[in-house]
Amino acid sequence: MAVSRGWLQSRRAGFSLEVDWQVEQGEVLVLFGPSGAGKTTTLRAIAGLVRPEHGRVEIGGRIVYDSAENVWVPAHRRRVGYLTQRYHLFPHLTVARNIAYGAPKKSAIPRAERVRRLIELFRLDGLEQRRVWQLSGGEQQRVAFARALASEPELLLLDEPFASLDAELRRTLRDELRSMLTASPVPVLLVTHDKEEALALGHSALVFDKGRVVERGEPFQVLGQPGRGQVARMVGVENLFRLEIDSRNPADGTMICVGMGIRLEAPLGDLTSDEGSRPDGKGLVTVGIRSSDIILSKQEPVGISARNRLQGVVTDLQPRPPGFEVTLECGVPLRAQVTGAALSEMGIETGQYLWAVFKASSCFLVQEEAPGGVPGPA
Amino acid sequence: MTWPPAKDGGRSLPSIGNIFGAPATVLYLLFIGFPVLALLIRAAGQDGFLSSLSSDVALTALKLSLGTSIISMAVVLLIGTPFAYLLAKNTSIFLRALDSLVELPIVLPPVVAGVAMLMAFGRNGLLGPPLAELGVSLPFTSIAVVFAQVFVAAPFYIRSAKVGFQSVATEYEDISQTLGVSPWRTFWQLTVPLASPSILTGFALAWARALSEFGATIMFAGNFMGKTQTMPLAIMTAMETSLDTALALSVLLLCVSIVLLAGVGLLARRHWQERL
Repeated sequence: MAVSRGWLQSRRAGFSLEVDWQVEQGEVLVLFGPSGAGKTTTLRAIAGLVRPEHGRVEIGGRIVYDSAENVWVPAHRRRVGYLTQRYHLFPHLTVARNIAYGAPKKSAIPRAERVRRLIELFRLDGLEQRRVWQLSGGEQQRVAFARALASEPELLLLDEPFASLDAELRRTLRDELRSMLTASPVPVLLVTHDKEEALALGHSALVFDKGRVVERGEPFQVLGQPGRGQVARMVGVENLFRLEIDSRNPADGTMICVGMGIRLEAPLGDLTSDEGSRPDGKGLVTVGIRSSDIILSKQEPVGISARNRLQGVVTDLQPRPPGFEVTLECGVPLRAQVTGAALSEMGIETGQYLWAVFKASSCFLVQEEAPGGVPGPA
Repeated sequence: MTWPPAKDGGRSLPSIGNIFGAPATVLYLLFIGFPVLALLIRAAGQDGFLSSLSSDVALTALKLSLGTSIISMAVVLLIGTPFAYLLAKNTSIFLRALDSLVELPIVLPPVVAGVAMLMAFGRNGLLGPPLAELGVSLPFTSIAVVFAQVFVAAPFYIRSAKVGFQSVATEYEDISQTLGVSPWRTFWQLTVPLASPSILTGFALAWARALSEFGATIMFAGNFMGKTQTMPLAIMTAMETSLDTALALSVLLLCVSIVLLAGVGLLARRHWQERL
């Protein structure tokens, strides 16, 4: 049973949108994409704060917008909780009164009791009479969550709730949010442009670009092994190679790709583009490999299951938290992610010859919308 | 965020602001303070100060000034508040053009405003004949006093209230609505309280301006004791016959204005003002 679903479409200048979604009870749907891609507008339209030309929005089994039936429920009757990047706690009210602000007067649980429980749940005891600007970033976020939940929402809309926090606090609060979401199973739409956040919190993901959904699926699939060049560049896939299909092995589900002086074994793609599925089985494909999926070795690795082994010379070493990015020139520049400890233990330095090892299943095919952008075959 | 904000520990260098600012400040304070002081000294030095204060002329003028200005301010609040809100939240080209027109009465000489209102509502004005047919004659009545005060005072309120409403980020109002509070209740429960410092400041400025209104009033409403002779007009009239009465009235108007400004100033202080 879907708890919220719908579609929106708008073509007005500055408000171009084409999106549809579905999110279940206790599920987090990530809206991922660069800023200006229409993620926030989507949230605001679902909340009833802006009105797109066409669409249909269902929240908790109620239709709150249907352009065909001329249904429009105003924001204050939609029962959504909306969290902005900067929280926007009301500065003229105390913590307790901020939380009580939207708590319904008529409810199964009395208002005061509800506020008390939320204060307890979010560990805000003792801060009830505090001014909101006296709170730390994390406390402010907890107040914002408590305030949103006090109004008994049937859908939570989170607009980059971690954007204004530093990296360490962000990680802590992300874990907190996850446990909180399991405790109160409200469906959640989470806007972010942080890949880590999307992977850590999302059950499913929509990738936005220029107001449209360009990719959807499980966060790991969509963002970890993105199937489109557009998305791959958005999330920063470190290695993208334009290669020619040399031979296919359907029984094994793999194929051999060559070009640029390298030879890779990759999964047989189900690409429908005419490039990858020419009758002769040949054609050009773009193969992506995450730098964190690559293992570096000083000796030639033998007797292991990983199908891809490339030798190259280290040309660059860059810090890239949490570790270092090593660039290995093996005909093509191959980027591998290693920890600081591995770097010093192996004594990796530029000019050194190393082996790069990765599994065939770490390779994924990326569909190119517009050719160019990645280097062609040598 | 911490409160109070950390003070910069270092000693500040003599800046251009100090070098030129300090003498200028002293000069300015003398320029304003000395005449006010002179007024108080002369008024205190006269024998019949209290009897002048409680004279018929003074009390009648004070009553009229307070009465008309309170009505004027009610009108300004009623019309100015929604208008200021619209100006703050709507960015259409039409409203932006209107925005600059709002301040016209501030730069318009009040005497001109008085003449303009005579041309509009006077017996020979554009609306004069139709109004006369209804048995209404506005000029030289207390209503004309209110008209003149609203005309010159409203822009001060509208300008300040608009800035106040602009300082309330739309996200606050959005969040309030998603919390189940209707737009109407959001306005009263959230927007007005958050904008209140600017609203109150504008209110005080406008009220002070209404109390001191002279030019437009004497042009449009005339100078009839008990009907249109407000405090400034009474002072002007008294100057011609008795300096003592004029002094007493002036001190009285000064005190009323100061009490008003200080009172509203105190009310307008908010602990969270810088935190919007």
